[in-house]
Amino acid sequence: MQAYAAKLINLIESKAENIAKQWAADVMKHNRTPSYHSLSKDLVVEQGVNFYRLFRQMSLAEVPYEEAKSFSWKYAEEFYQQKIPLHEALYALILMRRHLWLYAEFQGTFVTALEKQQAVESLNRTILMFDYVSYQVTEKYQQLTMEGVNKKLGIVKTFLMGKLIGGMKNTYKLAFMAVLLIAAGILTYYNHTAGKVVVFTHLFYIPIILAAVWWGKKGMLVPILLAIILIASHSLFLKDAPFTDDVIRAVMFIIMGGVVGWLMDSVKKLEELYEPFKL
Amino acid sequence: MKAFASKLVDLTQKNAEKIAWQWAKDVKTNLKTNSYHDAPEEKIINQASEFYKNFQEMFFHEAPFQLAEDVFTKYAHERYAEGVPLHETVYAMILMRRHIWLYAEFQTIFSAEVEHRKAVESLSRTILMFDYIIYIISREYWKLIKMELSKKEGKH
Repeated sequence: MQAYAAKLINLIESKAENIAKQWAADVMKHNRTPSYHSLSKDLVVEQGVNFYRLFRQMSLAEVPYEEAKSFSWKYAEEFYQQKIPLHEALYALILMRRHLWLYAEFQGTFVTALEKQQAVESLNRTILMFDYVSYQVTEKYQQLTMEGVNKKLGIVKTFLMGKLIGGMKNTYKLAFMAVLLIAAGILTYYNHTAGKVVVFTHLFYIPIILAAVWWGKKGMLVPILLAIILIASHSLFLKDAPFTDDVIRAVMFIIMGGVVGWLMDSVKKLEELYEPFKL
Repeated sequence: MKAFASKLVDLTQKNAEKIAWQWAKDVKTNLKTNSYHDAPEEKIINQASEFYKNFQEMFFHEAPFQLAEDVFTKYAHERYAEGVPLHETVYAMILMRRHIWLYAEFQTIFSAEVEHRKAVESLSRTILMFDYIIYIISREYWKLIKMELSKKEGKH
């Protein structure tokens, strides 16, 4: 690359550790970077060294923007994982650049008039690199945040069965539920009139769960209806048999429908909460 | 402080409209500032020219961070409300800074060798201002996102 920046680049590369140590000391007590205060010094210094060493590569690259990505993305990922807020990570970057320049000034790298001219050019180049890094870190950090939200929403969608039956139109859901309720009625009638002892009522949990998933607490209507069907059928066709078992079953339908409906309403609220941060 | 930088600041203030227009042209076509592409030109020119006009005050202020905080907290809130992603807002600010310098270079205000020292100092001060601004904007975005989440949590 341009000869003018060589002096600064050489200085940075040969003194990467010194500059990184000064930066680490600053960032670990600066009031705009409180999240760094509790990090291990070795980790922070290592980050500084990695960047300062990469600086030559970045400065010499034909497409420095692409070269900068290797650092920026790793930097953003590390800080995202450590839950360091983006504005603090950005300010740490700003300090990284400032320390680079402070070190060069302190070493009296640019003294003569000609060197001052080189300084302007070096400074411009340095700023350009840091501009790229700041942009890429911000973009990547946001992308990671949104991916995190989408991942959480993925779990929510699984609960809501979003891509399968949850994606059906409400009319179809109502029609499908009507079919299931009619089937439940026929099944109850058949078993009670035939006097069979098969525990067919377990199948009722299918419409109960589906109603809770689709309509939340409003879906309670389905277990109540099924409980009425069961008790009514029992009182019509099984007059001599004790009521206890079917009453317990009917109560269980309502409890199950209520609990799942309440849970699904909470899950839906969670989805709404993160909706604006989706990709 | 005032002597060395007055040249750059004067130039910026006097030519606020022109620099803002050049910035707007850039931001409306730059690949890294997509959200600005469809924004009305007049609106974004106003954003920048207001800033360039106030540049002098910030540049020479005794507590530039406090002043930047007053001005750019509002700026961040407005961009957030417009739905501009943070990385684009940050890059638009970077371009805003770059255009001050580009204009100054174009006008060759620091052409003499002796003026390069002034150039370094002006450049350093300008960068410092923008460092504060970028920090404030990103911090405000962070706060707004958190606020939006807790507001929704409250509702539920």
